[in-house]
Amino acid sequence: MTSIDLPDYKRQSSDVASRFEELKNRPVKLEVKNLQKIFQSKQGPVQALKDINFKTHRREFLSVIGPSGCGKSTLIRILAGLEIPTSGDVLLEGTAVKGPGPDRGMVFQGYTLFPWLTVKKNVMFGLTIAGNSETKAESEAMQWIELVGLKKFADSYPSQLSGGMKQRVAIARALANQPRVLLMDEPFGALDAQTRAHMQSYLLEIWRNIDITIIFITHDLDEAVYLSDRVLVLKANPGEVQEMIEVPVARPRDPDQFLEPEFLATKRHLEHLIHPPSKQQKSPMPITRMTEVGDNVE
Amino acid sequence: MSTRDDKGWFAIREPLSQSKQQILVLLSFLGPILTWCIVSYTPFIWHPDIRLDISAQRQGVSTVFTAGDHLTKSYYQEFEQFIRDENVLILEQQSGKAEAPKNLSKVRRDNIKILRQLTPIATKQGWLPKDEKIPDEDLIALWEAIATKPGGFEKLNALTDENITVIENNWNLLNRHYQETGSLKMVSVPLQKLVPQGVPVNPVYLPAPHEVLQKGWYEFTKKPENDKPSMWSRLRHSVRIVFTGFLLSCLVGVPLGILCGTYDFFSKLFEPFIDFFRYLPAPSFSTLLVAIFLAHDAPKIALVFVGTFFQLVLVVSKTTTLLDKSLLEAALTLGAKPKSLMTRVIVPGILPNLYNDLRILLGWSWTWLVIAELIGVKSGLTEFIETQGRWRNFDSVFPVIFTIGFIGFFTDQILAQLRGLFFPWTGEKVSFILRKWIDFYHWLTGGRVNVTNNQHLQGSQ
Ligand SMILES: Nc1ncnc2c1ncn2[C@@H]1O[C@H](COP(=O)(O)OP(=O)(O)OP(=O)(O)O)[C@@H](O)[C@H]1O
Ligand SMILES: [Mg+2]
Repeated sequence: MTSIDLPDYKRQSSDVASRFEELKNRPVKLEVKNLQKIFQSKQGPVQALKDINFKTHRREFLSVIGPSGCGKSTLIRILAGLEIPTSGDVLLEGTAVKGPGPDRGMVFQGYTLFPWLTVKKNVMFGLTIAGNSETKAESEAMQWIELVGLKKFADSYPSQLSGGMKQRVAIARALANQPRVLLMDEPFGALDAQTRAHMQSYLLEIWRNIDITIIFITHDLDEAVYLSDRVLVLKANPGEVQEMIEVPVARPRDPDQFLEPEFLATKRHLEHLIHPPSKQQKSPMPITRMTEVGDNVE
Repeated sequence: MSTRDDKGWFAIREPLSQSKQQILVLLSFLGPILTWCIVSYTPFIWHPDIRLDISAQRQGVSTVFTAGDHLTKSYYQEFEQFIRDENVLILEQQSGKAEAPKNLSKVRRDNIKILRQLTPIATKQGWLPKDEKIPDEDLIALWEAIATKPGGFEKLNALTDENITVIENNWNLLNRHYQETGSLKMVSVPLQKLVPQGVPVNPVYLPAPHEVLQKGWYEFTKKPENDKPSMWSRLRHSVRIVFTGFLLSCLVGVPLGILCGTYDFFSKLFEPFIDFFRYLPAPSFSTLLVAIFLAHDAPKIALVFVGTFFQLVLVVSKTTTLLDKSLLEAALTLGAKPKSLMTRVIVPGILPNLYNDLRILLGWSWTWLVIAELIGVKSGLTEFIETQGRWRNFDSVFPVIFTIGFIGFFTDQILAQLRGLFFPWTGEKVSFILRKWIDFYHWLTGGRVNVTNNQHLQGSQ
C-alpha cells in the first residue's frame, strides 16, 4: 500500500465525539472485572485470559478482535455463563452472572439451530421455555422471523436453508427472548463475502431498531470497524486487553464509508496492533527455486 | 450411451448413476442365484456325487445302499467294480466252473432281492405304479418284458447295456427253470446282480433351486400333522421370541444408554462393567437361563435379551455423546434448565441416529434366534431346521433359513424407508415407491399430501 496521509484514528468529528459523550452517560449493561481464566490441560495450565476489565453501555455495539487463540471465544463464553472464570466477575446490570440464562442471547459461529425443529419452532424454543402459551409464542416468533426476512421459510427445516439464512434464524431465535445483551462469536465467519456484507447491514438494521447491546467477536477488521462503536483489542499469550478503541466513523453507517479516511485510519491502527510491523520483516524463504531464472513472476 | 458427465464404473468415492446402481443391485442377487442354478443344472460342473437309481447288495458287506443314496464318485466306481467281480464269479457258479453255494434258501432269498433292486427305477420311470406294495409277480413280469422287449424300447434307454444283458441272462435262467419246474420262485441257482447305476448330482447339502422352491411351498402350505405346529405358527413363535427379547432390551437399554451418554456419572458407573460383560458369550448362559426362567419361552427371550442388551447400551450411549454439544449450550443460553435439556434437546436430537442403531440391533437380535430356540425345549423354526437337517432333508431346511433371512432383510428395508418419513428434517429422500403409497393413502382417506420434498433452498439474502 502506498502510504496516504491518514488522520489520527483518535481524532473524532464533533458529531462522533458528542455521540460517545452520550453513550458514556447511558447506564452500564455489562461490566467485566479482573477476569482471569486458566485452563488445566494435559500439558499443564494454560492462561487464556488475564486481567480483563471493560464496560459496555446500553445499546452499545462492541467488537472484540485479536489474533487467533487469544481467548476471544473463552471471553464470550464466560459472558454467556457457559464457562466459569478462574477469578474475576461479570456483572450484568450490576448483578453477578452465575451461568447461562435468557438475559444474554448467544449466536455461535456454527449455526446451532435445532435441526429437528422448523424455523418457527426454533424461534419459539426460548419463548415456550419461558412459559409462554403456544399461540403467544407462535405469534411473537413470527414477528421476529419477519424482522429477519424469513417469513416464507417459517415452516422449513434448517437443513433446507443456506448459511446466511440459518444465521438469521439464529439471530431471531436469540432476540426472541428479548435479551439485554446479544453475544456473537464470529457469527458471519463461515459465510461468503457477499452474504456477509448483507448480514452486516441486517445486523445494523436490527440493532438500530431494538434496545439491545451487542458484543461481537470477529477476526475481520473491516467488519469490526464498520459495525462497532468501540473495538476491544486483545493480545495473545496470555489474553490481555491491548487497547479499547473508539471508532471515529460517523453513524448511520453504510458501505461507502469503507473508503473514508477515518475508517482507513482505524483499520490501519488495528492492523498494526494485531500484526506488529516488527514481526512482518521478511525472513529468507527456505524454499528452493524450481523455475528457471528469468521467469520471475514479479 | 455414455454422456459426458458419466464417470464410468470405477470412479473413486463417486456414487454411480441411478441406472448403474440398479443394475448392480440386481446383479448382487442374481449372481449367487445364477451360480446356484448353474451348479445345480449343468451336469458337467462340479457334481461330485452319484445318486443311485439301481443299487446292489454286496456279498458279506453289511452296509446297505438303497436307490436315492448319494455316493462319492470314487466310491461309486469301486462299488460298481465289486459287483462286476461278483457277477463273474456267479457266472462261473452257474456254469459249474466254480462251486455253487450250498445254502439254497439263502440263494433264493438273495435272488428275490436282486429282482427287487429294479423296483425303484421302475417306479421312478413309471413302469410300475408308485406308492404301492408291488407283488413279486408284477416284478417278474417286468423282468420278462425287458428281457424279451415287446416294444419296451423306452425302458431300455433308462438302463445300461450291461444291466440289460444281466436282465436277459437272468430271465433266460428263470425261464428255463420255469419250463422245467413250473415255478419261478424255486430257482436255486444264484442270479447275476444288477450293476449299480446312478446319475451325477451335487451333494445332499446343496439341493437344486426348484427342489427348494417345491419343498418350501409344500412345507408352508401343508396341513400340520397331528401335534406338530404348522410352519406359520413356528414362524410366529420365532418372530415373537426375537421381537420380545429385542423390545425388552430396548425398554431397559435405551434409557440407560441415554443416561450414560448424558451424565458421566452413569457412564462411569455402568459402562465399564457392561463393556466387560458383552464379551461373555451369550450362549454360554443358556443353561443358567433355563435354570432361572424354567418355562418354555422365557429363557429363550432372556437369551436374545442378554445377546443384545449390552451392545445396545454402549451403542446408544455413544450415539448420545455424539450429539453436538453446542446444541445443548445454545439451549442453555435460550433459557433451558439443565433438566429440560433431556426432553427438549437430547432425545429429539439423537432420535434419527437412535432409530438407525435400533435397526442394526434388531438385525443383531435375529442372529440369536437359532441359539435361543435350541435351549430348553427346542421350538419354532429352529426345531424344524434341526430335525430336518438331522435327516439330511436339506431341501426342507433351506426354505426355512431363507424365510428367516427374508424377514430380517425386509423389516430392515421397510424401517430404512420409513426413516425419511419419521424424520423429514434429516433431509433424507423418501423413496418414490413410498411416496406413491402415501399419496394413495391420502387419496383414499381424502387427506392432504404432506411429504416434504427436501431441497436445498437458496433464498435471496
Ligand atoms: N477447554 C479448554 N481446555 C484447555 N485449553 C483451552 C480450552 N479452551 C480454550 N483453550 C485455550 O485457550 C486459548 C484461547 O482459546 P479461544 O478458543 O478462546 O481462542 P480464540 O481467540 O477464540 O481463537 P480463534 O480466533 O481461533 O477462535 C487457546 O490457547 C486454547 O488452546
Ligand atoms: Mg474462537
